Order: sequence, then structure tokens, then C-alpha cells
Amino acid sequence: MREFEYLRMNTLQEACSLLSEYKEEAKVLAGGQSLLTLLKLNMISPSYLIDIKFIPELNYMDFDEKEGLKMGALTTHRTVEKSPLLKEKFPVLPETELVVASVQTRNWGTIGGTLVHADPIGDIAPPLIVLDSRAKLISADGERTVPLAEFFVDFFMTVVEENELLCEIQIPALPAHTGVDYQKFSTIEAGIKIAGAAVMVSLDDGLCKDAKIALSAVAPVPMRALEAEEILKGKPLDDKLIEQAAQAAAAEADPVTDMHATDEYRRELVKVLVKRAAKMALERAKAA
Amino acid sequence: MAEYRVVGKGIPRKDGIEKVTGEAKYTFDVTLPGMLYAKILRSVQAHARILNIDTSEAEKLPGVRAVITGKDTQGMRFGFVDTPRYPAEQPLIAEEKVRFIGESVAAVAAVDEDTANKALDLIEVEYEPIPATFDPEEAMKEGAPQIHGEQVPAPGRKCAWQDWGVARAARSYNPVNNIGAAVNISYGDSEKGFSEADYIRDDTWVIPRTNHACMEPHGAVASYHPLTGHLDLWLSHMGYELKRYWISKTLGIPISKLRVHKTFIGGAFGGKAQVFDHEIIAAFLSRKLGKPVKLILPRDEVFTSTNNSIALKVNVRKGVKKDGTIVAQHVKLISDMGAYRGSVPVCLFLCHSMRDSIYNIPNLTHEGVGAYTNKSTTMAKRGHGSQQMTTAIESQMDWIAEDLGLDPVEFRLKNLRKKGDVLANRDTLNSYGLPDCVKKAVEASNWKEKRGKPDPGHGIGLAVSSMFNGSGYWPFTAGSIVRMNHDGTVTLYMGQAEFGQGPTTTTCQLVAEELGLEVEDVNLIDGDSELCQFDYNNFLSGGMFVSCKACLVAAQDLRQQVLKVAAEMLEEDAEDLDMLERRVYIKEDPEEGVAFDEILRYSIQKHGGDPLIGKGFCKPVPEIEFYPSLSKGSGRWTDAYSFTAAVAEVSVDAETGRTKVEHIWVGDDCGREINSLICEGQLQSQAVMGMGDALFEDVMFSEGRTINANFVDYEIPRAFDIPEITIIDASDPDPNGPFGAKEIGECARAAVIGSIVNAVYDATKVKVDSLPLHPEKIFRGLQEKAKA
Amino acid sequence: MELAKKWIKVTVNGEPRELLIKPNITLLDLLRDYLGLTGAKMACISNSCGACTVILDGMAVKSCSVLAMQAEGSEVLTVEGLAEGDKLHPLQQAFIDHAAFQCGFCTPGKLMSAKALLDENPQPTEEELRRDMEGNLCRCTGYKKYIEAIMDVAQHPVKYSAKEG
Repeated sequence: MREFEYLRMNTLQEACSLLSEYKEEAKVLAGGQSLLTLLKLNMISPSYLIDIKFIPELNYMDFDEKEGLKMGALTTHRTVEKSPLLKEKFPVLPETELVVASVQTRNWGTIGGTLVHADPIGDIAPPLIVLDSRAKLISADGERTVPLAEFFVDFFMTVVEENELLCEIQIPALPAHTGVDYQKFSTIEAGIKIAGAAVMVSLDDGLCKDAKIALSAVAPVPMRALEAEEILKGKPLDDKLIEQAAQAAAAEADPVTDMHATDEYRRELVKVLVKRAAKMALERAKAA
Repeated sequence: MAEYRVVGKGIPRKDGIEKVTGEAKYTFDVTLPGMLYAKILRSVQAHARILNIDTSEAEKLPGVRAVITGKDTQGMRFGFVDTPRYPAEQPLIAEEKVRFIGESVAAVAAVDEDTANKALDLIEVEYEPIPATFDPEEAMKEGAPQIHGEQVPAPGRKCAWQDWGVARAARSYNPVNNIGAAVNISYGDSEKGFSEADYIRDDTWVIPRTNHACMEPHGAVASYHPLTGHLDLWLSHMGYELKRYWISKTLGIPISKLRVHKTFIGGAFGGKAQVFDHEIIAAFLSRKLGKPVKLILPRDEVFTSTNNSIALKVNVRKGVKKDGTIVAQHVKLISDMGAYRGSVPVCLFLCHSMRDSIYNIPNLTHEGVGAYTNKSTTMAKRGHGSQQMTTAIESQMDWIAEDLGLDPVEFRLKNLRKKGDVLANRDTLNSYGLPDCVKKAVEASNWKEKRGKPDPGHGIGLAVSSMFNGSGYWPFTAGSIVRMNHDGTVTLYMGQAEFGQGPTTTTCQLVAEELGLEVEDVNLIDGDSELCQFDYNNFLSGGMFVSCKACLVAAQDLRQQVLKVAAEMLEEDAEDLDMLERRVYIKEDPEEGVAFDEILRYSIQKHGGDPLIGKGFCKPVPEIEFYPSLSKGSGRWTDAYSFTAAVAEVSVDAETGRTKVEHIWVGDDCGREINSLICEGQLQSQAVMGMGDALFEDVMFSEGRTINANFVDYEIPRAFDIPEITIIDASDPDPNGPFGAKEIGECARAAVIGSIVNAVYDATKVKVDSLPLHPEKIFRGLQEKAKA
Repeated sequence: MELAKKWIKVTVNGEPRELLIKPNITLLDLLRDYLGLTGAKMACISNSCGACTVILDGMAVKSCSVLAMQAEGSEVLTVEGLAEGDKLHPLQQAFIDHAAFQCGFCTPGKLMSAKALLDENPQPTEEELRRDMEGNLCRCTGYKKYIEAIMDVAQHPVKYSAKEG
């Protein structure tokens, strides 16, 4: 690692103020599970490392039937995995965490850190997107909230400005008869992800009132499959319709060919994963 | 099978306490006062002339103690193979050109790793790229870029064969059309054989490089003492003799002044056998600076710059009678060697040798070439050619059985050799447990119920493999000493490297069994080239059969000495005596006896000070001198073969092509299990490793650059992937093995890979012609079948 | 730029330590290079292998990917702190009883992951255990004996607490 000045923050205000001062010369350190690798390989060499990991104001999880869930950006993946609250209210999140990296990474790595790192093959973003999550950003100049679906700009790039911090993730309470599922594909169980799909369906009187589909690893960002969603909305969901939506999602995807898979295969996987996730989400919606 | 007191039991490993407490020291952990840290600058060009290297800025960096390039090591050559036919051709550090991405171009020694890394960034290399070639068949065409000119030994330089006493002069080698290795073996009359066949099948497989992925990265610590000329070494290795020979030879340091200290080694699997540039460079820098130098490779360099397993295109043509009798086989191999030969000349031969002990094939031709390409080098990996051949041959066996309506198990059993068979090279199969391996694996897996049942997405497959047990190679012997101690325990000196395979426990079991002792009574001095005697090595699969056996021979020698003195003390004949619990007793009257410590005292007092030291040695294939001809495959090769039959059960997700291995049964003939827990571990290990090879391991290149040189993109099996594994002991003791034991570390992997390949075919009927069986390949195959 | 070293207070294996360190080092560097605790290893450079696993404030973490400064004021447990005098930790004893390891390079990391897991969930199912050990790569053993050893400790706590070292 190159040399840097290490600064441990105790308050959010401190952090924002320093970020405003140092801007691109500084990097924010939370859990560091992605950042440390970049530092050790000298892929980045900031002059200042602003450690926000121990700011108490950023580590919380509150739920309210009206406001929904608010969790601090420093909530660790392991906390999400083990949270009885989340298992009850948003079970797709603890389930997804089981396939995120490893226990050791989840113990120290944070949701906020993962989202800001913006790896297109990340697992936690698609379920958060179909849950209609929002990201609250804060800086010395004020705060703003961005829908998570609009949070990602390109691979490893988000809307977070140089002087901003992601401080909170908000998830609205789920309407009744809503089900969510996330399916991912890798060659080996905990292997590098080749494609992923999250689906949310919300039923009303037997019809699909709302549907959201988010895909990972098949575009530079975790993306919504909007046309596929339209196919499902307002109709009774059956296997044939789900297949149709899955085909549409595959067509909307923008995958690359890399060492792990061709773009065509990734599209084929999207068909399968969307289908499987939609069927599971539908089952859960009926049971809810 | 005979029951022994200590041999065959699951005795807890003697290295257990060190390993579970973190006390165990690996080369990775060695720190010496005043130690410097070295790093190597690697070529970023696949094929290029080096026009200039400017090290001036690097040398100026505070904390840098030395920067060296090919100019400093001009003329130094190393390699695994160094014979008159194939001289060692790899420069220690690249000289006038680089031949692969990852080749050494310069090296730095500095006060810490960060400084060394910074210095590397300051070295400026001016390359002139020249056309490169990455495919062996392209490389062999007329007009392809020539990677090597004529390989002329430096004046006065003797090749290893000459040094080792095989009196043949070093000569030059001219790799025409980039061919750097060739083999041509035949017996019988293949043409005639094929003409008599009722059915002929011809299939080709392409097997890529895979990586050993040992947890401990390669590395070395070298400490040269300028005042005495001694060089102390700590290496991550599989046998110190070959390393000592090469370091002594390239640096001109007398071999007796070269000490390899004991370290535990974090895995090897064949990938740490040869001497490496980083080892010689560490020693070179240490000598230059008179200070200890540590050089540990980062993980990406382990992928790019050490070696990977042999990449082979295997074409098998087989002729059989209607009833399934094999009448002829013709194998053609093309090896994608990489920029230097590695172990390809040996592997091309081994591909034949490791299959020849299995099926009785009266007419056989085996030919192969290795072509240079501008990629990383290749070397043995746990089976060294066996898995490539086994995949091709065992899959074809199933296809032939399918084409002719034969039962795949009966088809194999029908063609297996018999115990006592003498092979064309005059090796004798004194032990041959393979039929039993097959029968037991088939029975345990409920094969008959499962195979041939239409069960879409499920399949079961069988494959068999074999492995030899040591052959003639430097130092051509293993030596051992067992010494009696004052308290009646013994101390065993054995040089074998401990890289997980367990000799630190099994040799003590052999000695304990022989001397009537408990394993705790055998103290061990191991792994040190100065304290121990010649170590044979583990990379020719002779660990048990040769190296460990030497310890048994030493114990037998001590036993005789002890009995002789005890006989004198007790006034009995030695054959009427036995030993147990540090004591010799009269068989007919066990209460009467003398303790070991009393015997020692007596011997010292009455026999002029004789302290009772047992000496033993073992030579692989004693009846031949040195080694046979590998290129023609004639001449005795080994004294025993081990065997495995593996059955795998898989399910394949038709929508994605992904294979899940549900269960692997391994039926193994290792002669005799010396330690049941260690043996189980070896077979479980090979089952999981084989699964990795079959399904997803693949070192990938783009224009010669390794693109997945890390554990994210190069996937190896993890805890959640492992299938059910059932181990079945089907051992047939070998008369020449220590208590009948043969190797168990290398044979099974190939059979497992073959069984998974066959199981996936059974599940999908998709014919694949390359490994790994990546889901996308299977998916495409299923799609094409659906269209047809 | 030559930056100042920083003081860090951290308790390692029960012993409070005060060290002057460069800020740009990992917890693994601190343990191995500053404290000579070489049990934790490094087998990769991509945060993938888990050979560096230690327990930080009760949580298993990969010490190669934790900045040393983040351990300020914390308690770190390494493999060297598992045994007490002549008594091995039950997991250490179980690893020996089952011959769970071979080359041993990944063993310290496995012990720390397993200890943290059992401390949190004393009765895991085998499936839970195998999934939770995902972060600890092994090349030698095929994992089976490690899993059996850990399950043995989980299922027979009395057997293992009675064993003397």
C-alpha cells in the first residue's frame, strides 16, 4: 500500500467536513472489504483515508409500519443476514446475504460500502432495487435521497459526489400479498456470479398489481428490466406470462462476453433466473 | 489381509500439535536477522527482444540494495529436464529476449517488500515485440514464429545426465517448427491390429492447463555466509535433492555447502518439484549481498511464473472386436508446452506408462510431440498425464460400449490385465487390485440399479486409472538412519518433505511396527539435508514405495543389531526372540527379556562402544541403472503400480447446463493403508480436486496473458461444493512395498475426473471434447440435441 | 511522502499491546510482522482465501482486508491464543483426532472461523456449517474431515471439554 494519512471519524459531521476539504484526494473507508484489495494492489493511492466505520450515528436499523425500514449505511452484511426484523419484514435480504461473499467479509463489510463500490455482479443491489429502496446521501451542503434504481451510473460508479457520503438505506413497507425472490447463477456454489435476477410481485385480487425485476452481472449496473415488468403488470400471473416476461428481460439485458461466460449464455440464464425468481415470488405473494 | 499393531491404524498425525497451534513454520514464515526482501520484475510481453533495461532509478531508491538483470546471470540455465537430447534451456533471467508473459526480466533486493515493489515500478524495460504464437498446432506450421533458436550448451557445461553419471555428452538441440519434445512408443503391430478390429473409434479431447493452487505460495529464503561459503535455504518444495543439485550447479557452490532446512510445506501436488528461477535468484542475491534474502511470490505470479499442469490434445483411436476385446490402440498427443519444456518430455512418456498397466492391448502405438508456445510453462500435477489420458480413454470406452451395446463395467473387466502380467517394458504387475477396485466401487454405488435407467438429468459414470511407484531419478536413492536412544526410544532421520501427505507420521509407524514400539517412541528428525540422508523425492510417486521404505529398511537393520546383542545377553538364538514396548523378550517365555536401554548399555560396554545405529536405503527399480529411454518407452520403469476405480453420480440442470456432483465412490488399491485416516484424506482430497478439474478449473489466456491469475476468477472447490464421498479400500499388497504399501497420493484424481465426465455424458448424452465441463458447454450441447 | 507512524492499542490473545505502526498496513501485517504471530497466513491477494482469518471483537474477519488501525481498542484472538497452557481448544483436539488437516497452511484460519461460528451458533446443521466455512479455502483435504471434526465438537461438547492437552 502507498502511504496515506489515516483519519478516524467519530461523527458524521466531522466526516462530511473533511470530505468537503479533501474531495478526490480522500477515500472513505467503511469495512474495506473491497477497498483494501484496491489499496494493496496500488490500484488507488489516496492521500487521506477517512475511516467512518466507527461512527455510531451510521449504524442502526429501525422499522415503522408507515415509514418502512431505515438502516444506517454501516449496517454490516452479517447484521442483515441475522436480523430477526428483516427475516420477518424483508426475508429476501437475509436469504440473499447467505450467498454474499463469505462470513468473514459479511462480518466486517457494510451495506453502504458495497453499494457505493457498485460492482455490477454484486448480489445485494438487485433485491434492494425491487424492494423500491432509496439511498440517502449527505454532505456538508445538505442531504438528498435517490431511488436505488437510479443510484448506479456505470460499473464501479454511482451518483455519490466527491464530498458526499451514503448514510442511510430506506425500504418502504411491503404491501400485503407481496413476494420477493433473488436467484443467482454461478458455476460453483460460492463462485463468481455469472447472472442474477431479483423479482418482486405484488398481488391484488388475483392480478399482479406491481412487479419489479432487477438483474445483476448482465449490464454495467444492476438494471431494471422495465419491459419485462410491464408484461406482468395488471394481469393474472401464470407460467406462460412469466416465461414471456423472462424472455423480455433477457432481451433487455446488456451482458458482455468475458472469461466466465458469453453474452448469449448470460441472456439464456436471465430467462431461467427471472422465471424461477418470479415463480417463487408469486408463491410467496400468495402466501403472504 | 494381515493385521498389524501400528501399521494400518488411524494414528494421530505427529505434526498435529504444530499445525493446530500455529507453531508450524513454513518458508512463508521464516524471518532472519538482517533479512532483505526480493521481488522479480516479470515480462509483460509474450514474445519480444529486450533492447534495453534501465535500472538506474530503481538502484537510487533508498532501501534498495541490489538490482540484477540477465546481464548479471548471463549464461545460467535451468529446467526440469536436462539431458543430452533436451538440454535445459530456460535462462535464469531473460537475456536477449522474453518468451512468455511472466518470465523473469529483473530482480530487486530491498529492506522491505514495499520498497522492493516500488523499485520494480522504476525499472524501465524497452521491448521490441516480435510475432508470437499461442496455439501448438499453429506453432508447428511452416512460417510460425520460432520461439527458440538452436539450444547450444555453454562451453564446458555438462547436462544433468552427465553430472549424474549417465555418460552421454551434452549436445545441441534444434527445435524445428517449435517442436521441443517427442515420444514414439510402440509394441505389437498396430496396423495389423486395426485391420483385425470389428469396430474402430477415433476421438479427440483437449485438456487445458489447470493450476495446483497450493495454499502456500511458492517462495524461498536464502542465506549465504561469505566467510564460510555456506548457503542455507528454506524452500517450499517436494524433495530437496533436486533443488540442491540445481542451485549448486547454476551458482557454482559446492553441493556439500548447500543446506536445505526443514520447513513444513503448504501443499505441492507436483507444482513445487522443479527448481525455480525465484529460488536461484534468492540465492544469487544473498551471495551477492552476503545477507539473507526472502523472495515469496504473490499469488498471481504463482499462476503465471511457476508452472501449470500439462496441456494436451489427446487423440485416441481404438480397435475392438464385436465382443469387446481391445485389439489395437493408437494415441497421438500434442502438448501446448509453453515457452520452455517444463516436464513435457517426461509427461509424453508417462501418459503411456500410466495407462499401460491397466488394459491388455496387444498392439499399441503412442506418439506425441510438445510444441513451444509463448505461454507459461507446464509441469506435473498430481498424476502428470494420467488425467488427460484417462479422460480421453475412459470416455471413449463408454462410447464404444454404447455403440456396440456392451455393458461398460463388463467391457472394462474383460480387458483388464492380470496379476503377474509382464508389460512390454518388462515391468511386472506383482500386485494388481484393479478388478477388485472396479467391482467394489460398482457395488457400493448401486451401479446396476442406476445405470441405463432413463433418468433425465441424472447420470452415473465409471473410470479407472493407474499410477507408478517411483522410478530412476536423482538422487536415485533414499537413505535413512534409525538410532537407539539412552531411554530405549529411537530417533529416525528421514529427509522426505512434509507437504501434507504425512510421512512425518507414516515413517514413524513403519519404524514403530518393525521395532515393537509405539509411534510416540519414535522421535523424528526430518526434512533437513544436512541432518538427514539422501531424500528420494515425492514427485515420481515414490514417497511411500521408496522414501518411506528406506526408513523401514533402517529399522530392520537396527532390529537385527538389537536382536543380536539381546541374543548374546539372554544366551538365546535371535530367531527365538521378539520385541515389544522397548524390550526384547523370549517368545516362549515372555517374562524373560532385556530392555532396549540395557541392550544399548551392553553394546557400548562390550562391543567397543557400538551405539546401535540402523542404516537403510532404497533404490527405485534396483535392477536398472539410472533410467530407461523415455522417448521409446523401452526399459524397466517402475516396480509397482497403484490403481483406482471411481464412480460418480451427478445431476445436471438442463436449463442451465450446471452439473452437481452428488456422490463419488473411490475404490483404491494402495497396496496397504499405512495410516487409515491419512489414506482416507488423500482419496477425499483427490475426489474433490478431480471434481474441480472436471467441472470448472481452467487457466485461461488472452494473447499469452493469464487472465484469471487469482482465486476469484480461477475457481477451486469450496466447502459447500463437496459431494458425498465414499472411500473403499481394495488394496492388493505389493511384495516390494513397505508392509505391502504403494502410493495413494496421485492415482485417484484421474479416475475421478473420468468418472464425472462419463456420468455427465450418461446424464445428458452430450458429447463434449474439452475440459472443463463448463455449464455453458453442456447447455449448448443440450440445445443442439434439442434442435436435432 | 514519508508519513508519521501511529500508536495503536490493541489486546491480542488477552494481552494488551501498544504498538507504533505505519497506518498503511493490514491487521495481518501487524500480527505477523510486528508481533511475530505467524499462525495467520496469506494465500491470496484478492480477499478470497481466508487463510488470514482471526477473531476481532468476537467476529471472524480476514485480517488481510482489515486495516490495522481499525483494530484500535479492540480484542483480537489468533490461533496462538486458542490453547490454554497444556490444554488444546476442543476444535484443535478434534482436528487432530480426525486428521482434519494435511499441509496445515489453511488450518489456523479454519480454526478461527470455526470457533467464531460455534461461539455464535453452538449447534449448526452440517449444511449451515459447510456454507459458513465457504470463506476458508483448502486445497489439500477436500474439506470433509474438517467439517466432521467441527460437527463432532458441536455435537459432543462434553467429550471435548473433558480432554486434557
